[in-house]
Amino acid sequence: MSEKKFITGNEAIVLGTLEGGAEMFFGYPITPATEILEGWIRTASEDINLQYLQAEDEIASGFATLGAILAGKKAFTATAGVGHVLMQDPISMAENERLPFVGIIAQRGGPSTGTVIYSQQEVNLAALGGNGDGLRIVYSASNIAEAYELSAKIFSTAWKYNFPTFLLTDGYLGKQKITTEFSKPLRPYPARKILREDVDKPTHIRNCYGSEPEFSKVLERNISDYKLLITKVAESENYKTSGAKDIILAHGSVASAAKSAIDDLRSDGIKAGLVRPITLRPLDTAQIRSQIRKADRVFVMESAFEQFARLLVYMIPELAGKMVKVFKPAVGFTPEEIYKIVKDHR
Amino acid sequence: MKNDVTKIVLAGEGGQGIQTIAKILSLALVKADYFVSYIPQFGPEQRGTPSVSFIQFSKSQITYPKFDTADIVMVLRRRAIKTIESYIGSKTDVLFDSSTIARQNFTLNNSRLFAIPATKLAEEEFGAKNQNILALAALAKNFLDYPKNALWEIIAEQLGKKFAKNKSLAGKAKEAFDFAYDFSLESKKFTKAEYDTSDSLIVKKNSQRVAVIVPKYCKGCGICILKCPVNALSFGKTLGVYGTPVPEIDIDKCINCGNCYRFCPDCAIRVVKK
Amino acid sequence: MKTPNEQFAMPQCLNSKSKPSLFCPGCGESIILKHLGNVVDSENIQSKTTLVIDIGCTLLSWNYFNFDIIQSHHGRSVPVSVGYKMARGSRVVIALMGDGGAYAIGLQSLLHAAFRNDPILAIVINNTEYSMTGGQMAPTTVPNEVTTTSPLGKNASIFGPAFHGPELVRQIANSKAFIARASVGNPTLMDSIITKAIENQQKNNSFSMVEILSICPTNWKTDAAESFEFLAKLEKIYPVGEVKKTLDKKSEDI
Repeated sequence: MSEKKFITGNEAIVLGTLEGGAEMFFGYPITPATEILEGWIRTASEDINLQYLQAEDEIASGFATLGAILAGKKAFTATAGVGHVLMQDPISMAENERLPFVGIIAQRGGPSTGTVIYSQQEVNLAALGGNGDGLRIVYSASNIAEAYELSAKIFSTAWKYNFPTFLLTDGYLGKQKITTEFSKPLRPYPARKILREDVDKPTHIRNCYGSEPEFSKVLERNISDYKLLITKVAESENYKTSGAKDIILAHGSVASAAKSAIDDLRSDGIKAGLVRPITLRPLDTAQIRSQIRKADRVFVMESAFEQFARLLVYMIPELAGKMVKVFKPAVGFTPEEIYKIVKDHR
Repeated sequence: MKNDVTKIVLAGEGGQGIQTIAKILSLALVKADYFVSYIPQFGPEQRGTPSVSFIQFSKSQITYPKFDTADIVMVLRRRAIKTIESYIGSKTDVLFDSSTIARQNFTLNNSRLFAIPATKLAEEEFGAKNQNILALAALAKNFLDYPKNALWEIIAEQLGKKFAKNKSLAGKAKEAFDFAYDFSLESKKFTKAEYDTSDSLIVKKNSQRVAVIVPKYCKGCGICILKCPVNALSFGKTLGVYGTPVPEIDIDKCINCGNCYRFCPDCAIRVVKK
Repeated sequence: MKTPNEQFAMPQCLNSKSKPSLFCPGCGESIILKHLGNVVDSENIQSKTTLVIDIGCTLLSWNYFNFDIIQSHHGRSVPVSVGYKMARGSRVVIALMGDGGAYAIGLQSLLHAAFRNDPILAIVINNTEYSMTGGQMAPTTVPNEVTTTSPLGKNASIFGPAFHGPELVRQIANSKAFIARASVGNPTLMDSIITKAIENQQKNNSFSMVEILSICPTNWKTDAAESFEFLAKLEKIYPVGEVKKTLDKKSEDI
């Protein structure tokens, strides 16, 4: 069942979060995530079941999100760039206390204030940020229809597995207005009260422990839970990989451009294909590995310097031998450019 | 791993002066020309959990602050045993305070147990604050054979400020040190742990009121004694959770004003009308 | 009278399993927690209270009561409380923090919660220093007070004078907000101030803030008598009681 709409990416994201059962939003304006804050507030103004707060900063909006989550509400935030940096404080608490924090990260150029509209440089921070081991779940949307679906899905993933869950987008995706088909997302996984309000069995949650062995037990349990979710959560898409000798590994908007390039390459008789991780953490390692096995070259393309590539090579070391690195930090890839890169390498 | 490293664990309650004697012992070992490493166990609490320190010394450079098994363990309070028991191996010499810990408090099968009733000696003869000096002297003599005068010089230097404020404390500390240095450690017949934290409630009654004191919550801060308007409270013989004296109440003097209950940080005292 | 047991001297809502507590001997925060427990008992709100604790010595109270307690980050007990209260309006939500959490790292959240009149109670323990980390200078450290980071005494001309948190917050807080200072030196008054603050949350759906002057014998290196002597000095610098609005009331309505 699908429906055709002409809307922006950030509008689609707001609609997606509603499909995911979102009830509360906390945020602070930052380009290119601001329209999610504005869009949510517009929607909430007409629906008494929805709440929001424009907080004093990203730290407060992140922690207030956690407060609402503790009360059993599907709450979320949206941020970008340096706001995402500040947000590591609450995300780290969520990771420690196993709270289903949900964040939309509209990537912009960095470090520092950088540029305001586009990059893929927030992969490290989303996947491995904070002062822990990065037990987080990170999706990357490559087009507006997918951003809509994933905006709903991240709530189910977060509440089912109790790890901070993110959707990476960027300003090209968020601000573009486009006609596209939207399919109805799956029925959302329900929220539950985390602070149970029972004086006979009070809920006491802490993040600070008395000794290394005591904390180590907590971390061991969290890591073991994380390992168990990998096969259930990890996703990737293969596009025209059958018989492909040239494979592009890309995510998000870059993967979108790569699809057009591959269509052109294929019509020129060049056997090119795309492997696109939908989750960057955890990675769909088995699937990616099997897809690149027969390829001669694997082009790892990202609008960042070595961030996505590092995640890949750590999990799939054999990739290093046939990897062609194409890193353009904070700059996008056009389909024409990708077409040329692959063709020139032959 | 080099086997010429001697590894020591010192443990007691917070505020008992474990870190103070750990620092003194470390300095003493430095003066004896050893390479020394000292680190306290760190938690978020300053005083609320047992206090533990790890010391190592060797003729060569020490690389890592912690270890699995100690050569010497000194433990002065029952509650601390649980924290440090894993460092005791079959060849570890264990020195404990037999006035606060009974033999059966150690669950492990180790025959190298030695004791000095440090708290009893301090309470009855040398002043409560000197229990750590007694323990340090016994440890240094019996397990390290550290020269007596050299060790006292370091103690006197380290505690100089305290001693300067309180001359009688200094005198008592020296007496305690001399006594403990020459004390023959108990190795078989351990005295009853008569200064162990009391697990039972203290209940005092008269025809008008009932007072209840909970030694295992009391940390001996003395605030109730300070806030009692009629001087019905004073430190007694029973020891609280940190091995400090618990207040005693003169129930007939008490006017049941409620101040002790109101001010006690640890919910350890209350008087009610009958 | 019931046969006395170990809980005889405890507020009913206190979790006896947290005893003996993780707090130092003579800790003022323990006195505050006991009286908070007493107010929760006397107001009969144990079943609807949620406590959000900060980092600093307040984190040691993570299991102190038989009601829900959530440990947050340094300076963040206020925003967590704000989010929680928005989601669960019928709960009595209390954020417990130290003077560092409230007036240094978390000040903007405290100010904005007061400014928005978020219906939470912020309890700020003021012992004029950072206790958990071993007694460093705080905004509330009074002039000439010695701490580990003001070893010669706090130089007010460089580091500022004594930080008056409730007086500051009062300036921008909604007129319905209840803002007061109490002291562990006067537990009876502390009880009545905490009670008023909780009632202000329940009846007026408004923000409350109570700063409580407290003692820290461990880091002050004081015995019982010296601790209360220094506390009496602090009470002269930081006046106890409700803090009234001094600005022109009209400014709020603009």
